[in-house]
Amino acid sequence: MAEDLVLDTAIRDWVLIPLSVVMVLIGVLRHIVSKLLRSSQTPDIKIVREGQVMLRARNLRAAANFIPSKAFRARKLYYCNEENGLLFVPKGQATNPQAQMFSDPNMAMDMMKKNLSMIIPQTLTFAWVNFFFSGFVAAKIPFPLTQRFRSMLQNGIDLSTVDVSYVSSRSWYFLNLFGLRGLFSLILGEENAVDDTQRMMQMGGGFGFDPSKGLSVEKDNLDITQHDWALPNFEHHAEDVLKRVIS
Amino acid sequence: MVTKTEESELKNLEIQVDNGGGGAWEYLSLVRKLKVRRSDKVLKHGLSILNDSKLRSKLGADEWTLYEQVAVAAMDCQCLDVAQDCTKALRKRFSESKRVGRLEAMLLEAKGSWEKAEKAYSSLLEDNPLDQIIHKRRVAMAKAQGNISGAIEWLNKYLEIFMADHDAWRELAEIYSSLQMYKQAAFCYEEVILAQPTVPLYHLAYADVLYTLGGLENVQTAKKYYASTIDLTGGKNTRALFGICLCTSAIAQLTKGKNKEDKEGSQLQSLAAKALERDYKQRAPDKLPQLTTALKSLTLSS
Repeated sequence: MAEDLVLDTAIRDWVLIPLSVVMVLIGVLRHIVSKLLRSSQTPDIKIVREGQVMLRARNLRAAANFIPSKAFRARKLYYCNEENGLLFVPKGQATNPQAQMFSDPNMAMDMMKKNLSMIIPQTLTFAWVNFFFSGFVAAKIPFPLTQRFRSMLQNGIDLSTVDVSYVSSRSWYFLNLFGLRGLFSLILGEENAVDDTQRMMQMGGGFGFDPSKGLSVEKDNLDITQHDWALPNFEHHAEDVLKRVIS
Repeated sequence: MVTKTEESELKNLEIQVDNGGGGAWEYLSLVRKLKVRRSDKVLKHGLSILNDSKLRSKLGADEWTLYEQVAVAAMDCQCLDVAQDCTKALRKRFSESKRVGRLEAMLLEAKGSWEKAEKAYSSLLEDNPLDQIIHKRRVAMAKAQGNISGAIEWLNKYLEIFMADHDAWRELAEIYSSLQMYKQAAFCYEEVILAQPTVPLYHLAYADVLYTLGGLENVQTAKKYYASTIDLTGGKNTRALFGICLCTSAIAQLTKGKNKEDKEGSQLQSLAAKALERDYKQRAPDKLPQLTTALKSLTLSS
């Protein structure tokens, strides 16, 4: 088990490199296709407004010590007022955006298109890899692994004595899937359609941008913020500055 | 705001292009990126590129961005025929474009046909209610026609949606100051300071407004903001130095008869006075006697 298997260089030439090349090409193709298919989304006024409110509230929190306390208190009240404050969202509306996303036909179509454009090429490529490139050892991973990874990384290899570091081409496919993201951002610029992992993470953690949740978070943060007026310190600093200027 | 490195880069490019060296396209791209207003230079150098068909074809797809930039610069310099040619060329290329429609409406505005421009802007806004530039053009139009209250109304409506746009808050503050509605101007300046707390310009403007409003509390706050301006500019801002002297004497006048608590105030004032005298000695020595008499009268009246 500790012996090194010598792998044919033909494997490198005919398996590893073609697989990577094919994945890059498919990624580029997907990017172009998604650009063609993308329908322009007109952002809703309400969503823009809420984004701006959050920005303004965040600015208030960040620079609160630069304005007089009366001004700060007035603004805090304006934002956090229970009845008609800017940041106050009544409980019923809190789940709005998600429902909105499902009911709005445009957005639903958009999500479906994005999902499909991600799932179909992945599935096809995976099937192709499995069909053509299975049943042999493709590469050796440079670090040792435990036995638990055997089923994941060595699916076509039916020998249980082979070291787990020797993997099949399926694992090379997965490695490429996650690794080519950096390459794509170089070639295609940021915000490309091939950023699957980002989207997968986004889908995992809720539907990403959630305005009303953001508002209540901002409101709580603003409620906590204390006002510690920094201007009197500036007066002392100014004296020091002037002393230095005169001397 | 433009950073120092970008400013120096812009200046270098400007000098280079003005003196006949190459680099006109880089200069124009930098102007476009930094959104500075150099309309006469943009017009001159942009036209030199556009009229030379070899240079124009080298630009490729950027040619149309250049057309747009030159059109706007031409409107700013009131060379309306140039602007019209550019807009026509753009319309021929992009016949169904809202961006070109916006340019054409701006051309109407530049010509002075206010009602037509107003109609064009309203129809464009119906299609796309989130176009910030059109909103701002409407405000500018109202201001140009002298309809200040209309400008305030449009600007307020704009700010209801885009309330994080600090440039708009600054514009509103200046409009209110011009109308002497100082309380509202103070509110707007507070918004601007919240957005960019380390820019001394806004502290200075806010201090001016507070001082103008008057009242002991406002003048004391104004003094603090003049001090912060001095801090942020390293003592070089003459207006802030004068502001400190005026505020201190105003405070002394307002608290005449009540207990005088702060000794630091007078220290700041004497420091500011000394700094002013030094500054005048260096830069305008013949005005120094006027300065000393003015300062003396301030301290005497306190």
